Amino acid sequence: MANEKTAYKKPKKKIRVFDIVNYIVFIIVGLIVMIPIWKVVVDSFNAVGVYQFKFWPSQPTAAGYLTIFTTSKLYKPFLNSVITTIIGTLLGLVMSTLGGYVLCQEDMPGRELFSYFLLFTMIFSGGMIPEYLVMKQLGLVNSMWILVVKHGMNVYNLVLMRNFFEGIPSSLYEAARIDGCSPMGVFFRIVLPLSKAALASIGLMYAVTVWNDYSTVQIYITDRDQVNFQYMLRVMVMDGDTPTTAYKVSQSTLYYAAIVCAILPFMVLYPFLQKYFVKGVNVGAVKE
Amino acid sequence: MWNARGYYLMFLPVFIYVLIVYYWPMLGVRYAFYDYSIKNFEFIGLENFKSMFSTKDFWRAFSNTLQISVIKLLITTFTSVLVSVFLNEMGNMFAKKTLQTIIYLPHFMSWAVVAAIFTLFLSKSSSGFINETLKSWGVISKSIDFLHSKDWWRPIYYIINIWKETGWGTVIFLATLSGINPELYEAADIDGASRMQKIWNVTVPALANTVLIVLILNLAKVMNLFESVFVLYNTRVYKVADVISTYIYRESFMSAIPNYGYTTAVGLFKSVVGCILVLICNEASKRVRGRGII
Repeated sequence: MANEKTAYKKPKKKIRVFDIVNYIVFIIVGLIVMIPIWKVVVDSFNAVGVYQFKFWPSQPTAAGYLTIFTTSKLYKPFLNSVITTIIGTLLGLVMSTLGGYVLCQEDMPGRELFSYFLLFTMIFSGGMIPEYLVMKQLGLVNSMWILVVKHGMNVYNLVLMRNFFEGIPSSLYEAARIDGCSPMGVFFRIVLPLSKAALASIGLMYAVTVWNDYSTVQIYITDRDQVNFQYMLRVMVMDGDTPTTAYKVSQSTLYYAAIVCAILPFMVLYPFLQKYFVKGVNVGAVKE
Repeated sequence: MWNARGYYLMFLPVFIYVLIVYYWPMLGVRYAFYDYSIKNFEFIGLENFKSMFSTKDFWRAFSNTLQISVIKLLITTFTSVLVSVFLNEMGNMFAKKTLQTIIYLPHFMSWAVVAAIFTLFLSKSSSGFINETLKSWGVISKSIDFLHSKDWWRPIYYIINIWKETGWGTVIFLATLSGINPELYEAADIDGASRMQKIWNVTVPALANTVLIVLILNLAKVMNLFESVFVLYNTRVYKVADVISTYIYRESFMSAIPNYGYTTAVGLFKSVVGCILVLICNEASKRVRGRGII
């Protein structure tokens, strides 16, 4: 008995040291990620620009945020971002659920053909300039709707959706069909209600993509009424191009407040929706 | 066919959308064989490709694209594996979940935001967080203009990528690790393996296949490098930072007399190389895990 006891104690002691080191390392990792974000948030509420990292603003003010939401040249891009994100996400969800649903109909003639039709776009693309010229012909240059059209459907997301639908037991479809349900009826009454988690994950992926897009705006839009908030943030911080100089707020406060606004929607939603964010990746990648 | 008409009707919007947004631009690749500028539009055969292959800036952009993409991929995959392995050792579920929540965060920030944050932090002015902090610690005596320096730009770019993407990269590895048969660890315990031995002999080998898949999936995308470089580079670091897509962008939209034919040709080159990479990686993926990536 005594012998067994000592044999059991030894590894336990080792575990302790390892765990302490591990926790210390991860506290450091967590700090490396959080300090920049925390500094941005604190400085956005601080009336003076300081280089040091502070836990709390030394001269608290909300002037940065007030400036953004009272200056039309700053809040309009924010509204553009909100509108394009909502509509882009809805369009993306409609397209990928429809496409995903049709692609998992195994007895439908032409299913393979449809698959190849979509998958080819993942292998080859026209490139930046031909795309630009097509969008120009469609009248989408200098219009914020380019964001909706460009991200309105992503073939990868459609495939994720199809993978998810394939997991729904086909006996459910059969039963509905025998009861006289049309393809459309099955889609709305069976498939969609069973896919809330997938809709949330893939909807979030679309929303993040549209909201975060900066380069499309940089390429297609020069009209300041049509740009999104990411673009506005960029020209302010990089080019020092603030819409007016008559602010009662320091430059750095305004910049940091703009950064916070540019990440705000997802930072607010993120803690509640984290599992949906993560799910999207796992459905796509680890489905062995 | 007639029985499936409902499905065809449902596919119609997707069909039209893909046709317009994806296939129509593909017709535009023919401009690669034209002299296409504001004044001119005429067929010139392979002239654009000839001038492309004899332009130094093009080759510089091509080699930068490959170097930056591949090094970035290797570094962030390595850090993700490292973090996942040790995160997996955490016994306290609450601490583990909290940490995951924190390290996933930067992934959801746009590149415009990340560039804004780090441009402000790395600034040479008296409010530059990094420079002033390093000076007060006595690490450096004079401010360094990190993002405008040819020596510093790439290391900084990789560090920013590590900061942004390491956490999110762990998602797939942690999923693999949660699937390891616990009996393997029990067997190692019976053999008297230490914690590090268990990590090295059980955890790490279990990840090998997933690491390979992640590398293959991302190698297919190396030519796509654009936004992350675009938001961080500037005229002074073109030598080390200019990539194919930023080169196309500048030649088309920043040039006084853009030749869309030439830039389409560069874009076509990029698409073809990308296409070959996807097909190679698809084949590799089939061998490794029994299914392709497309």
